[in-house]
Amino acid sequence: MLIFSVFKTLTDQTVIVELKNDLLITGVLKSVDQFLNIRLDNIQISDEVRHPHMIAVKNCFIRGSVVRYVQIPADAVDTQLLEDATRRGSRFCYKRCPKFPD
Amino acid sequence: MDTSSAGIQEPFDLIRLSLNERVFVKLRGDRELTGVLHAYDGHMNLIMSAVEETIMVVEPVEGAPHSQGSVNYVKRKMEMLFVRGDGVILVSPPSRT
Amino acid sequence: MDDDSTPPPPANDAPAPPPPALNSGSPTDFLKGVVGKRVVVRLTSGVDYRGVLSCLDGYMNIALEQTEEHVNGRVINRYGDAFIRGNNVLYISAAEAI
Repeated sequence: MLIFSVFKTLTDQTVIVELKNDLLITGVLKSVDQFLNIRLDNIQISDEVRHPHMIAVKNCFIRGSVVRYVQIPADAVDTQLLEDATRRGSRFCYKRCPKFPD
Repeated sequence: MDTSSAGIQEPFDLIRLSLNERVFVKLRGDRELTGVLHAYDGHMNLIMSAVEETIMVVEPVEGAPHSQGSVNYVKRKMEMLFVRGDGVILVSPPSRT
Repeated sequence: MDDDSTPPPPANDAPAPPPPALNSGSPTDFLKGVVGKRVVVRLTSGVDYRGVLSCLDGYMNIALEQTEEHVNGRVINRYGDAFIRGNNVLYISAAEAI
């Protein structure tokens, strides 16, 4: 949920999404959902020679599960805030994780 | 139950103690990252900054047994990176020894 | 049931005798017993991690200390602490008496 919130704050920023098949897509982040599915606008493919079928594509929906990385603009995130939110959020997460033992 | 690492009761405690520290991350696909950890969640989705990625590429050498081709390391740097948790194998905090 | 044999056979009238007592039965008991001990964690990739098991959770996420990473029987890396994401774990094996 924390990461979802982070991505919501990144809407309208330019990001580079790297897929597990090594395709790199640069575009403007239009929206994201709880599965971290991503909608990108104004997209550009890094290696158009290798992926010529992508040249004409202007926007796309990316299923979250095929993403390896998202490169985000460093000045668009407050790292201190992220760390605090993570520390607070992790307690919430612990409750939902099955504990071991007992 | 407590060993040398001060009071870790749960594996995620190890990661929480590494916030704002440089960590080593081993990923599927012969990839490794080092970077400063800023956020994570229960899936091990990560947000890191000042990331250096190392990709290990094994190139088969003609005539050599296929188990020992020449290994190339490709390096990249990224300022701020989201890493999807399903690719994570191992996270190691900086050794505080 | 009588005193005819030296190793005592399981009582025939008892319901479902437990298997030959190793320590105690369940996987959970094994994992409880192995916390704080030296273990080998094998991943599905075939890589082994040898170290002291700090703790683990229900996803089999694992925290190890003094970890050695073994590939093909060779140590290729050492980590003071290591968090292993549970989905990669094939098995956990005790490397000392529990």
